Amino acid sequence: MNRFRTWRWPIGLVILTVLLLGASGCAGGVRATSWTGMTLVGERLYVADVERVVVLDATSGEPGWGFPEDPQETRLGAFQITPAVDEKRVIVASQVPPAGFLGSPQNIVWALDSNTGEELWRFDEASGEYVEGGAIAQGLFLVGNSDGNVYALDVDSGTRRWVFETGHRVWATPLIVSDTVYIGSMDRHLYALNLSDGVKRWDFHAQGAFASTPALRGDTLYIGAFDDRFYAIDARTGTERWHFSGQNWFWGNLAVHDNVVYAADVDGNVYAVDAESGQQIWHQALVDDRRQNEPVRAGPVLSEDGSRLFVGTQNGTLYALDAADGFVVWSQDSEGQMLSQPVVDGSVVYEMLIYGSYRVRARHVDNGREIWVYQPTVEEE
Amino acid sequence: MFDFLAYPLANLILLLYTWLGHSTVAAIAALTLLINLLVLPLTLSQQRSARKLQEFQPQIEKLQKKYANDKERLAQEQMKLYRQAGINPMGGCLPLLIQLPIWFGLIGAIRYCLPTSPLSVFQFSQHIYKWLPGVVGLVPLNSTFLGMDLGRPPSMDQWWSYSLPILVFATSWFQQKLMTPPSSGDDQSQAAMMNQQMQIMMPLMMMFFTLQYATGLSIYFVISSLIRIAQYYLIDRQNGSKGHSRRK
Repeated sequence: MNRFRTWRWPIGLVILTVLLLGASGCAGGVRATSWTGMTLVGERLYVADVERVVVLDATSGEPGWGFPEDPQETRLGAFQITPAVDEKRVIVASQVPPAGFLGSPQNIVWALDSNTGEELWRFDEASGEYVEGGAIAQGLFLVGNSDGNVYALDVDSGTRRWVFETGHRVWATPLIVSDTVYIGSMDRHLYALNLSDGVKRWDFHAQGAFASTPALRGDTLYIGAFDDRFYAIDARTGTERWHFSGQNWFWGNLAVHDNVVYAADVDGNVYAVDAESGQQIWHQALVDDRRQNEPVRAGPVLSEDGSRLFVGTQNGTLYALDAADGFVVWSQDSEGQMLSQPVVDGSVVYEMLIYGSYRVRARHVDNGREIWVYQPTVEEE
Repeated sequence: MFDFLAYPLANLILLLYTWLGHSTVAAIAALTLLINLLVLPLTLSQQRSARKLQEFQPQIEKLQKKYANDKERLAQEQMKLYRQAGINPMGGCLPLLIQLPIWFGLIGAIRYCLPTSPLSVFQFSQHIYKWLPGVVGLVPLNSTFLGMDLGRPPSMDQWWSYSLPILVFATSWFQQKLMTPPSSGDDQSQAAMMNQQMQIMMPLMMMFFTLQYATGLSIYFVISSLIRIAQYYLIDRQNGSKGHSRRK
């Protein structure tokens, strides 16, 4: 009894600590620390479903293969990056939790057979988390990592071909055009690299971090940054042509159609800007029922004919705007957070959610009516 | 849960970062100084209380001998002595309890400024005080210090980052040792044993914290402990000049 009385204060302190660790949301378990991604190729929708990668039939939402087959049994960590897909393979990444108390998580790129989901190769040399997806071109898979490096891997074997080191985390998907790779880093630089050897051609320095993929129109790159601006940059030289100032960060990708650049800042302000001059054409502030800003992480996506603009919000609402004037044509609410870019294919728009009852929902482009839904394999914590 | 503290602290880190030559370590160190200034009245009273306990130790030992077979009476007499001397034997817990929310707020603030999780950065993007000068475009802050990533917990690929939790343990243990009233070798009283346990449990708990969270938190703990140690010696010198003897 006396021994217990002696220990009760230290024991109480430890219990309090553990309780507070739990209350602050830092207890163990797999947890979505980022948004997920999906890629549509033909009739197949490849989905990073947090604890697994799954392929869905794009017309019915019926799941095909999954990797791993049973995520409860084979725990490979959180799959969150947008799958990169070519005719043979799907390339994804996950962070496998540490085995022991002092262990480090493993960050693995997985190449899977696109027809069967079987593992083809894996790459585990990066020390940081993969946040956005990679790109496949000319026999290489390129991906940025939170360790600050851009990795170029042989797409057939997964062996490392070259590495380019930046000054901070790389959370952006590269854009590959011909023999050039364009990739932004949190070190506030946009880099143009040789695709073959990773040698830098030029870099553009902004006042804020780059976390999105540039859009190319002619010889101009358009990209948003965390300095509340988006930039038009000469793709050959890396010099600035103009910039446009919004009200907060531009995190998502920009959409370009005809002579107009569409962008959304994280406060939910959607802009249409003249691609040549950088002059604003229209502005639409997305607000919820209480007139509060709707936070927007991902960039807007255009319908195939360029007449509609789709924007998903953190509150789970998908907006369809008229691309000509920014007027809200329809909006549909969902439970969860819509932080990934929607995918549009003809008359269907696919939305993706985390922390909700549904992972993917297909809607009609015209009116937002639901076509099918796909539930997450495992509920997020 | 502690975002009401994390957002202001994160913005304060951003401001200090702009003022201190874009050095993350300097910004965290300056924040530590500010927080310690804020809780200074509490820590001073805790340290004075600990000192008084040390001064009254001979009397406490006498009571322990006198009432060795009557625990209840011993407790009563000890409390009477504490009351007369104006000592709060549990006074050490209040600064700790006040600091716990600050720690958790700071964990959140570091997670926002030195992001490893995109979700937390996105969340913070809505809470940056844009009216503060020079904060636009600052996030994420430069997170590298001596080759360590201050935004990540210690890991084997940066094995030297484990030196910081060890440093946290060492400085915290020394601080606890200074605060703990000395006891004679045969002192088996509940309070003495509890003090001995706390002397090791607190540093262990802090080391556990720093193994789990961003390395930047270790900077806060180490500097905090060093400040408390310096405070102790300043009080000690002050008391020494008034004729008190220093603890052995």
